[in-house]
Amino acid sequence: MYAIEVNDLTKSFGDLMAVDHICFSVSQGEIFGFLGPNGAGKTTTTRMLTCISTPTEGSAQIMGNDIQKQAFAAKEQMGVVTDISNVYLDLSAQENLIFTGKLYGLSKDRRLQKAKELLELFGLQDVRHEIVRGFSGGMKRRLTIAMALVNDASVLFLDEPTTALDVQSVRVIHELIMKLNSSGTTIFLTTHNMAEASSLCNRVAIISQGRIATVDTPERLKQAMDRVHSVEVVFESSSSHLVKDLEELQGVRGVQKRGNMLRLLTLHPPEVLTGVFQYSERKDLRLLSINTLGPSLEDVFLEMTGEEIVERTKGSGKSSERRGSVKSRRSSH
Amino acid sequence: MFGVLFPIALFFTFTVGRNLSSMQSLPILLSQTVFWASSTVGPVVIPLERRTKTFDRYLSAPMSLFSVLLGKTMAGIFFGFFVSIVPLLIGTLLFPVEVMNAAALALGIILSCFAFAAMGIMFASVPTESVGNIMMPLNFVRIPLLFISGVFIPIGELPVIGQVAAYLSPLTHTLILVRGGLGVESFSIPLGASIIALFVTGLLFLYLSLKFHEIIRKRE
Repeated sequence: MYAIEVNDLTKSFGDLMAVDHICFSVSQGEIFGFLGPNGAGKTTTTRMLTCISTPTEGSAQIMGNDIQKQAFAAKEQMGVVTDISNVYLDLSAQENLIFTGKLYGLSKDRRLQKAKELLELFGLQDVRHEIVRGFSGGMKRRLTIAMALVNDASVLFLDEPTTALDVQSVRVIHELIMKLNSSGTTIFLTTHNMAEASSLCNRVAIISQGRIATVDTPERLKQAMDRVHSVEVVFESSSSHLVKDLEELQGVRGVQKRGNMLRLLTLHPPEVLTGVFQYSERKDLRLLSINTLGPSLEDVFLEMTGEEIVERTKGSGKSSERRGSVKSRRSSH
Repeated sequence: MFGVLFPIALFFTFTVGRNLSSMQSLPILLSQTVFWASSTVGPVVIPLERRTKTFDRYLSAPMSLFSVLLGKTMAGIFFGFFVSIVPLLIGTLLFPVEVMNAAALALGIILSCFAFAAMGIMFASVPTESVGNIMMPLNFVRIPLLFISGVFIPIGELPVIGQVAAYLSPLTHTLILVRGGLGVESFSIPLGASIIALFVTGLLFLYLSLKFHEIIRKRE
């Protein structure tokens, strides 16, 4: 039995297909990363899996329980950490945990015992009677995760657990995730942070424009990433032939123009750097800046999907598109 | 405080200069207090809980949507009930007001709290994180109800269509039961009919709340 099994799960908002017939499964005891840019459908998927939102089509099971037909049983098996720390600010840390225990129908003794255990595990024992409003972002995040574990969840959904946290808090939360996983909890980690997914996850799924682009191990994704680098260059002046000339430099796979900055995609940055310097001297064009960049999540998407990334903002009516004049986007996959 | 102050402000707005006795004015104040206080809880609490995402906690916990909405309705009932004690105490302690039919008064207040709390929850199904986005449509309904329910304008002075609308308004039945409880002459329908009307209205609002919230969950 899988911890999470998703079949053709779909969510549409009017004409917008936010999640488009996705399928994947997560084994018990696995840390599964769910990656994608803003608006890709990560949070929408998580909201459906955690019974907060109803799917338009498709089905999903949590520990064998259908999220629609056996919602109670499915909910009893899961703990949910949303993308913001949804703690009760006017209650103390201990009261937050006890109240959550009440929501899950725990007995009074069990609630108190569980609250004590979790306060110790998450390093909140000393501030257990303090009102949460005064807590730092990291402390609130830890308490949010602790609240998700009150019911001894078999599957823990973490939606962007480390966003907007300082480095120390991120490290503490990463250690907690590893500790929970080693005790048998299945983790479903939603993030747009490739490094976080890489260091924590057994496997990751990449979602783009509501569709699963790939499901693979981080190592294999990194291999794909290692092949895509870029050189960002700004010239003092520009000409109508500049983009075309740069596209023809040796080692350049594509050129993206962003304002007065040109981004040259390449597999071999040193070769492109040499070419750019030579071109600059030959054409007597003064270089204002030049940088080499490692692969971004966007580059991985381009490699994996062979599509341009369109970032959509649900509900706000905004739609920002990131498109480049990529010469060749097809990978060898 | 809003639950007490706003009805009092409205009460003075429409009663000062009309030379009403305390026996005539207390039912108006009491009905308004129950009406405003109970119907305000859902529209204030639910969007704020949506904003802080604590509402998501209830949805992902092993409980039904109906349980969540019933809990919110009960919060409105308790709030409306306790706030309504303020004008009742003022009336009975400071003015020569006597409770003549305690059962009618208690049922009037409790069932009105239920009906108006459920009405507030129904409006709170609007998927917003802003209280104002719910209060605006809610007040489009609440304020006209004051004028067709015999609160400020006697029902007998309304045109026929207004009188028909008055008996469809739950606030009319609140006023009938409160007046009946305080021994003030009221309308020509039995108290039992008003009790049933308020109970059925409350159930209807609660049912509609559930349906609207389910629709929103499908769309969100």
